[in-house]
Amino acid sequence: MISFIVLMSIVICFSAILALALNFQWGLGGMVNFGLAGLYALGAYACALLMLKGGFNTFFATIGAMVIVGVISGLVAFVTLRVAEEDYFAIVTLGVGEMLRLVALNEDWLTRGALGLSGIPRPFGELVPAEYYAYFMLAISAMLVAATVWFLNRVARSPFGRIMRAVREDDVVAATLGKYVLWARVRIFAIGGALIGLAGSLHAFYYQYIDPTQFSTIVIAYAFMAVIAGGRGAHAGTIIGAAVVMVLLEGSRFAKDIIPWLDSDQLSAIRIIIIGVGLILLLIFRPQGFLREYRLQVELK
Amino acid sequence: MKKVTRRKVLKTLGAAAAAPFAAPFLNLAHAQGATIPIGVAVPLTGNSGPYGPDMAEAAKRTAARINNAGGILGGRKLELFIEDTESSASVAANLTQKFINVHKAQSLVGYWGTPEGLSSRPIAIQNKVVLMVSSAANAITEGDTQGYVWRFQMKATDWGIVISRAAEKLGFKSFGIMGLQNAFVLPIMKVFEERITGAGRKVMDSLIYNPEQPSYRAEVERIFGKKPEAVCCFGLLPDFVSIMREVYRGGFDSKVIALSIMADAEGKFVQAVGPQVAEGIRHFQPMPDVSASGYKKFVQLMGAPADRLFLFPPNTHDQIAITALAMEKAKSPMAVDWSKQIINVGNGPGEAVDDVVEALKLVRAGKNVNFQGAGSSCDFTPNGDQIGRGMGQWITKGGKSAFVEYVKP
Amino acid sequence: MLQTAFNGIVTGIIMTLPALAITLLFGVLKFPNFAVGAMMTVAAYMAFALNAGLGWPLTVATVTVAVVFGGICIVIDWLTFRPLRERGGITLMVASLGLGFVLENLARLAYGNTARSFAMELARPFRFFDIRMNREQMITIVVSTLAMLAMYVLLTKMPIGRAMRAVADNPSLALVRGIESPRIIRWTWFIAGMLLAVGGVLIGMDRAIEPLMGSSYVISVFAAAILGGLGSPLGAFIGALVIGIVSEMSTLVIPPNYRIGIPLCVIALILIFRPQGLFGQAYIRK
Repeated sequence: MISFIVLMSIVICFSAILALALNFQWGLGGMVNFGLAGLYALGAYACALLMLKGGFNTFFATIGAMVIVGVISGLVAFVTLRVAEEDYFAIVTLGVGEMLRLVALNEDWLTRGALGLSGIPRPFGELVPAEYYAYFMLAISAMLVAATVWFLNRVARSPFGRIMRAVREDDVVAATLGKYVLWARVRIFAIGGALIGLAGSLHAFYYQYIDPTQFSTIVIAYAFMAVIAGGRGAHAGTIIGAAVVMVLLEGSRFAKDIIPWLDSDQLSAIRIIIIGVGLILLLIFRPQGFLREYRLQVELK
Repeated sequence: MKKVTRRKVLKTLGAAAAAPFAAPFLNLAHAQGATIPIGVAVPLTGNSGPYGPDMAEAAKRTAARINNAGGILGGRKLELFIEDTESSASVAANLTQKFINVHKAQSLVGYWGTPEGLSSRPIAIQNKVVLMVSSAANAITEGDTQGYVWRFQMKATDWGIVISRAAEKLGFKSFGIMGLQNAFVLPIMKVFEERITGAGRKVMDSLIYNPEQPSYRAEVERIFGKKPEAVCCFGLLPDFVSIMREVYRGGFDSKVIALSIMADAEGKFVQAVGPQVAEGIRHFQPMPDVSASGYKKFVQLMGAPADRLFLFPPNTHDQIAITALAMEKAKSPMAVDWSKQIINVGNGPGEAVDDVVEALKLVRAGKNVNFQGAGSSCDFTPNGDQIGRGMGQWITKGGKSAFVEYVKP
Repeated sequence: MLQTAFNGIVTGIIMTLPALAITLLFGVLKFPNFAVGAMMTVAAYMAFALNAGLGWPLTVATVTVAVVFGGICIVIDWLTFRPLRERGGITLMVASLGLGFVLENLARLAYGNTARSFAMELARPFRFFDIRMNREQMITIVVSTLAMLAMYVLLTKMPIGRAMRAVADNPSLALVRGIESPRIIRWTWFIAGMLLAVGGVLIGMDRAIEPLMGSSYVISVFAAAILGGLGSPLGAFIGALVIGIVSEMSTLVIPPNYRIGIPLCVIALILIFRPQGLFGQAYIRK
C-alpha cells in the first residue's frame, strides 16, 4: 500500500508541474492554452524519442523536450498573437493540440503510431535498485516541483513578472506604457511550454510506455481544475489543487465498491461532471481560488 | 505563503528521503505467505467490457478447482485479486503496480486488450513478474522480455495470415483494405495486404483511418468507389458502425470482411446499424478448437451447456493452469524461478495431459508433462508467443451471426 | 471527383447551423463558446430518447427538442455565464470548456459509449448521373436551407433580429437606443439553442449518435465561423461551405487522417492575411 501511495505521489508531482505551467500561462499571463494535452504529449514524445532514437541520456533528453515544447509554444503564440486576439488564440491552441496528437498517432516511422513507444529509460535506472526506484523517482519529482516553484517565484517577482501582470490586467494600457506586449506574451507562453515539456518528460519516465490515448482532452480539464481550485497565480495553491484533483480521481476508483450499480464508464463520466461543475462553481463563487496570488497580497499592504 | 510552500516541499523531500529505509521491512511481509497471490486484470467495463466477466469467472473456477485438489507447493492455495482494467492502458498500468506492490503477486493474468498489455509489460519485466496476456499485438512479445511475458492468444500477424487464407478460399479477386490507426489491428492489416496479393488477386487500394472522426465518408468513397469485389476492414466497433452506415447509404455492394469484435461485438453492431446494413458481412475471431477434449472439460467446469462457445475465458483458464504447473515444476512461487518452466510444461516433452489437476499430480511425481489447454494446446515459441490457435469464421444473416467454419492455424 | 465535391458541399451544409450559432453567440456575448459541440451532442441524445425511446417520428422529436433545448440554453446561460458576464472573455471561455465536459458526460452517463442511431431505416442512395445522394443528405440540405432562410428573415425583417444585430455591432449604442440587452441575450441563446439542436440531429443522422459526435466538429465549425468573420451570419454560411468542400477535396491529395489540419490551416491563413474574416468588419476593442 505504501508503495502505491508513493506511486500516486509521483503522479501528483508531474500533474503539479503541468498545472504550474498552465497557471503561469493563464493565471499570470492571461493566455488560455486549450492545446495543453497535445503539448504535454509532445513533451513526453520528444523526451522519449531523444533517448530512444537520438541516443541522448535522460538529463539531456529532458532539457531537449523542454526546449522543443518551449520553442513550439512560443512560435504558436508569436504567429497567432501577432495578428489576433485571445478569442482566436484559444481555438488555435485547441487545433495545434489536436494536430500534435494526430502526428503522434499517424507518423509510424517516428512515433510508432498507436503502438506507442515502450522501453523508455529512466534517470539512473541502472544505478538505483528496482525496489527503491519509486522512492528515488518521487524524490526527483518533488525536487523538480520545488525547483519549478522557486523559478516561477523568481520570475513573478522580477521586472518581467510585473510586465506579465500588467499585460494580463490590461494589454492596451501596458502597450501604452511602452511595454512590448507581443514579446512578453511569447516569452510567457514559451516558458510555460518548457514546463509542460518537463511534465511530459516525467510522465514518460514514470510510465515508460507512452501512446496517444494517454493524452486525451480530459487532461486539459484536470489541469484547469487544479489551477482554478488552487487560485490563479498562487503556486502553492496550484500544487495543492493538483493533489486534490488527482486524489479525487484515484480515490473515486474505490467508490466502485460503495456504489456497485454504476459501471466504470458511468463513474468516469460522473468524475468529469463533478470536475466540470466544480470548475464553473469555483469560477463563479471563488474566482481567487483557495489561496491567493502571493504578490497581490503584499502589494495590498 | 512562500514559507508554507517551502515547508511543505521540505516535508515531502524528507518523507521521500526516509522512505527507502522503511522499504525492506515492507517487503518482508510476503516472503513466506500461506497463499499464492495472482493478479487478474480483466475488462469489466469500457469498450471491451462485455468480455471480462466470463474471464473472471473462468479464473475463479480454475483456481477453486486447483485449491480443492490440495493447492500447490505442498498445500498452498491460490488467491486471486480480480480488478477491472476499464479497457484503458493507464488504468491497467496502475493495476499492475498495485498487484505487484500491494498484493505481491508473481503472476499476472487476463490483460485482454493490446494497450493494457503494452502498458503493463515494462512494469512486469522490471519487477521480474510473469505477465500472461490475452492480447494480440506483435509488439507485446517483441524485444527482450527476459522470459516474463507470455501471450495466450494468436499473434496479430497470424490473424492476418489466417484471414487471408480464408479470403483466398472465398474466391475474391480484387480487394480494398481499410485499417484503423490502432496497435492491434494494423499488423493484421499489413500482413493481410502482403499475403493476399498474387495468384491473380490484387489490392486496388488501402488506407489507414483515425478513430473518432466526424465522418468516414471520404475514406469509404475512396476504397469502395473503386468497386473491389471485397473490402476488408480492420477496426473497432464505433468506427465500423459509421463506416458501414456510409457504405450502405452510398449504395456500394462490395462484400465486407471484418473482425468479430467489430461486426458482432455481442450483438451490439447489429443493434446499432440494423440488420439490413449488417447483412452478409463475414467476420473472424480466434477461437479454441471446440473439438479438443481440453475445451470440453472447460465447458463442464464453467457449468455451461456443451454447445456454448467461449472465446477468451479458456485462455484465462490456461493462464492460471500454466502458472500453477510451472510453480509446481520449479518448486518455487517466485517468477524468477518458475518463468523458466512455462515452456517445459506447455510444450513438453512429456505426457500430454488436458486436465490441470492430473497434470499437477504428475509434476509432483517428478514426471514431465505437455499440458493441453482449453483455449489451445498451450505451445509457445521461446519469446512467449502462442502457437496452435485457430480462428472461426461467421457470416451475418438476418441480424444474426451464423458460424461458417473453424480455420486451422 | 464530382462525388467528392458533392460530399464536401453536404459536409459544409451540416456545419452551417452550428457555425451560425457560434457566430450569433459571439456577436452578442463576445466570447467563443467551446461548449457548442457538447450542446449538439446532448440535443441529439434528447431527440434520440423521444424518437427511439418513445417512438415519436423524428420530425416531431426534432421540433420539440429544438424548442426545449432553446429554453435549456437560456437556463444554462442564466446559471453559468450570467454570473461571469463582467469577468471578461477568457473566464467565460474557460467556463464554456467546463460546461462542455459536463454536458458531454451527462450524455455518456445516460447512454454509455456505444454508438446509436435514430429509429429510421437506412435507405440506398438516389443517383443523378454519376452522383450518389442519400436520403439523409437530402434531408440535411432541405432542413439547413430552410433554417438559413428563417434566420435571414429573422435577422433582417423582425424587430428582435434587428435588435440582436444592433447589440452585436455596438452594445452601448444599442442600450442608448433603449434595446434591453438581457432580453436580447435570452433570445440569442434561445435561437442558438434551436440551431444547435437541429444541427445535432442532422449530425446524428449523418453518422451515429455517440458522446464525441459534437466535439469532433468543434474545430471545423469554429474555422467556418472565423473564416466568415465571427459575428457575420452570411459569412458563417459561406465559411462552412468552403471548409466542408476544401476538407473533403483535400483527401484526394493528402492522407485523409490529416483532414482536421485543413480547417486549422484555413484559420492560420485567415489570421495572417485577413484577421476580420471574409465578411467580418475589423473592430477595435477599446
